[in-house]
Parts: sequence; C-alpha cells; structure tokens
Amino acid sequence: MMKYLSLIIILAGAYLAVPLQFGGNDYVIGIVVSALTIAGIAVAWAMLGNLGGMISFGHSAFFGVGAYGSALLAMNAGLPVFPSILAGGVIAGVVSILTMPTLRLRGPYFALAMLAFAEIFRILAIEMRWLTNGSGGLLSIPRLPTVFGFDFGSRLGGYFVVLTLVLLTVFVYWLIRNRPEGLALRAMHDSEDATLVVGVNATRLKAAVLVVSAFLTGIMGAFNAHYINFLEPDYAFNGSWTTLAIVAAIFGGYKTLWGPVAGALIVYLVDQFVFKAIMPSGHQLILGGLLAAIVIFSPSGLLPWLASRFRKEAGDAAHP
Amino acid sequence: MLLTLDHVTVAFGGLVAVSDVSFSVSEHEVLGLVGPNGAGKTTLFNAISGLVRPSKGKMTFCGHDLTGIPIHKRARIGIGRAFQVPQPMHELTVRENLIVAQHFGTGHSNPGKIDEILDLTRLGHKANRDAASSLALTEQKALEVGKALATNPRMLMLDEVLAGLETNGKRAFMQTLDDARQRFGVALLMVEHDIETISNTCQRVLVLNFGKLIADGSPEEVFRNPEVIRSYTGGETA
Repeated sequence: MMKYLSLIIILAGAYLAVPLQFGGNDYVIGIVVSALTIAGIAVAWAMLGNLGGMISFGHSAFFGVGAYGSALLAMNAGLPVFPSILAGGVIAGVVSILTMPTLRLRGPYFALAMLAFAEIFRILAIEMRWLTNGSGGLLSIPRLPTVFGFDFGSRLGGYFVVLTLVLLTVFVYWLIRNRPEGLALRAMHDSEDATLVVGVNATRLKAAVLVVSAFLTGIMGAFNAHYINFLEPDYAFNGSWTTLAIVAAIFGGYKTLWGPVAGALIVYLVDQFVFKAIMPSGHQLILGGLLAAIVIFSPSGLLPWLASRFRKEAGDAAHP
Repeated sequence: MLLTLDHVTVAFGGLVAVSDVSFSVSEHEVLGLVGPNGAGKTTLFNAISGLVRPSKGKMTFCGHDLTGIPIHKRARIGIGRAFQVPQPMHELTVRENLIVAQHFGTGHSNPGKIDEILDLTRLGHKANRDAASSLALTEQKALEVGKALATNPRMLMLDEVLAGLETNGKRAFMQTLDDARQRFGVALLMVEHDIETISNTCQRVLVLNFGKLIADGSPEEVFRNPEVIRSYTGGETA
C-alpha cells in the first residue's frame, strides 16, 4: 500500500510538479533531461550487472550505436522520429550479438573486453565516413515531432519523453526480475552449479539479458540524438556515458530497481547545480569522493541504506 | 531401467577417479553408494549429472544416451541432484529457489506442487521471508532436496545429505526422503558414510574403492564381503 502510494506521489511529482515549477527554465530542464538519460543507461547497466553478474565497461557502444542508428534512419530513410528511436534500440540490441563471445569471460575480463568493444565502435564511427560522416559528425538530425499541438522537440517535451522512457526501462527491468528467468539470472553468478543442475541454461539467459540491456541503452542514445540534433563519434561513444551510469547505479544501489534512477538524479543534479558552482573545473573529483564514501559506508548503495534506516525507525516507533 | 552405466571411466589427466564401472538403477529403487574417502563417489555423481565428462563408457537414462546431453538438460529428463555442500541460490527466498527449479527443470509452473514440497521439507514457514543464505544447515539441506524435487525427477541423487546432522535430524531427514519417494515415486541413489542408515534404508548397495566397483548387492551380503571390510579397515586390497 505504502509502496503504491509513494509511487503515485513520485509519478505525480515527475509529470506535474517538475514541469509546473521549472517548465519555463530551459537550463534546469536540460540538466534534468541529461540526468534522466544517464538514469536510463544506469538502469539498463544495472540490469546486466544484477541479473547475470556482468559488469560492463562498454555500454557507451550501445548508446552510440542506438544514437547513430536512429539518426541515420531518420535522416536517410525518412523514418518518423519515434519509430526510428525504437529502431535505434533494436539496432543496438542486434549489435550486442557481436559482443557475445565476451560472455565466455568472467568478472574483470568481461568488463575489459566490453571496454575494448566500445572503443572499436567509436573508431568505426570515425572511419566509416560514407555512413557517419566521420569526425565531422551528423548535423540537423530531425527533432522530436509535435503531436496534438504539443512540441516534443522543446526542452520540456524532451523531458516528458525521456521521463517516460526511463519509467518504461524500469518497468521492463521489473518484469524480467520477477519472472523465473530473472530469478535464475540473479542466482546465477554466485550459485552457478545450483542453477545448472535444476536445468538453467546460463549462457542463453545471459545472452538474452545482454540484448535487452543493449536495446534499452540504445533507446536512450537514440532519444539523445534527436534531442540534441547533433552527433559526433567522440560524443556518442564517449566513455563517460558508461562511467556516469556506473557511478549513478553504484551510488544509488545497483541491486535495487530504483537505485540507479535515484543515483543518477542525485549525482548528476548535485554535481551540476552545487559542485560545478563551487568548483567550475574538476568538480567531478567530488563525485569520486562521494562514490568512495558510499562504497565505504553502505556498499549496497544509498537506497538500501535509506530503506534499512527507515525500517529501523519504523521498528523503534512500533516498539518504543 | 532408469539409469544404466556401461563400463564408465572418468580420468583427470593420469588420475583415474572412476574405473570401468557398470551398474543400473531401476524405477523406485533405493540404492546406496558407499566407499572410503577418495573412492570416486562424488566423481561418479558428477559424471551422471554432467559436471564432468567420462573418458570412456556409456551412460543412458530412460533410454536417452547421456553423452550428448548438456548438464542443464539433464534435469528435464528426470535427473535430480542434491549436493553434499548445499548449493542454495543464495540471494533468493526458499519459494523463489523452488520456482526457478520448477520452471527450468519442468518447463511449466505448478504452484500446488511447490506448496506440497514446502510442506514435505517443512520449509513452509520460511518460504517467503529471508534469502536462502540465511537458512540453518538443516534447512539448507532440506531445500537442496526440495529444489531437486521441484524439477520432477525420476531419480534423485543425494550426496551425503545426512553428513553433519545429529541422530534425530538424520531420522527426520530420512522420513522426508521416504515421504518424497512415496509421494512422487522417485528412485533414490544416495552416497552416504553412515553404514547404519544405508543398511536400514537401501534395498541395494554399491561399494566403490579406488574408483572400482567392488561389490553390488543387498546390504547384508555387501557388508559381509571380505573385500568391502578390507577396504574400510584400510588393509591390503591387492
């Protein structure tokens, strides 16, 4: 009951209060949109990390492929923007199949192989000039359309779109998590023999969750392409799409459903509005400090820590 | 015949852990597998469940040649396995453990059967609350059997599931296994050190020593066999 109530309050706040309060301020909305974009990647990244125990350093590859895929489809094939965002996600999902040999690797080896893959895609985007225009980048990528008189191409319109995409990403994660497949994936990395002898095909499940995670990351990249209307390889395949998402997910609690979203919002907004004002250059240093602090004080992240505090206080109130 | 092993040898490099072993298990049978430490019992179990590959010989289960069947598909054809050191899916609750086992082991879901298993293993009161890693050893052992049962096995392989339990615990556990056998009609293939339990429960006993099968028969005849006695007292076997 409490859970549904708080979900409704958060949704109302996100869809009504934020636009009413900041709708006119493109600067603030722009930063919130960036925070939500990172939140979406963080959820997709955490899905792969939590379901299947795969820590990826290469999600910027899927982000970039989704961005380029959708932008090129809209520009060259004239596909409407919303379908092409979906197609961008599909392309990222298909491309993730190329990275599947890495599933044979474990832990840091998987992470590093994915990092190498991301670099390969960045180089491809620079070198395949006939398709991507190389480091010159893509200009005037079609913006999000106006539907029923509402301009989704505006900052506020982008906010509604990315907010909805992030919520859908969380919803997909939630659906998978609660299915037997999701349970098996959660169990797999520290109880491999246990899952094998009851009939779990680990490789197939891991491959499936990698495709879904890449698809969702690609969607965020595709949205971003049409939101900022400009792409270049060093931007779309920038490693910080991965690192910011990892910091956000670990800060918020990567094993929880909402931890990555909360982490992205807190980390990015505090960084942009507070640390950047105090320390115009090198403010990311403070983020590193914050991450170190949370890992020391609550290794499972902020949300699990808050939840345990809340439970403790509720317990104290019930039994004074 | 449920399970048939035909001249099975498992070697790790030069070390032969199981050497030329042949036997079979029939439906509903309760079969004990005994032998001193290092005799190859667990290796034999691993070969049957697919964790290691035999270097020679043939294994069939319900008419399927096991050679080409990967480990995760052996649950589907009816081979259930409970490990010596319980291997719960740590992060999941007891019920979630059973749901995963049932979903992947049988291909469909049947909540009624899960309740039945919870009842049988006396884990009902713990089903939904905590992660399986927080269970006591006895409960983890019960869950180990429960997970195997959830895959609808025709044969349940139990690797020293009684080890570490006190007398009453052992008795209760054997009762659970007997109930499981009656209710679900599974055959039991059990590795056990406790000769008394083996004598009381098993219809037939196999004895392994240095990887070789040295006896196969009823508990009475097997435990009277001089070679078996020698293998246990550490005398010369040659």
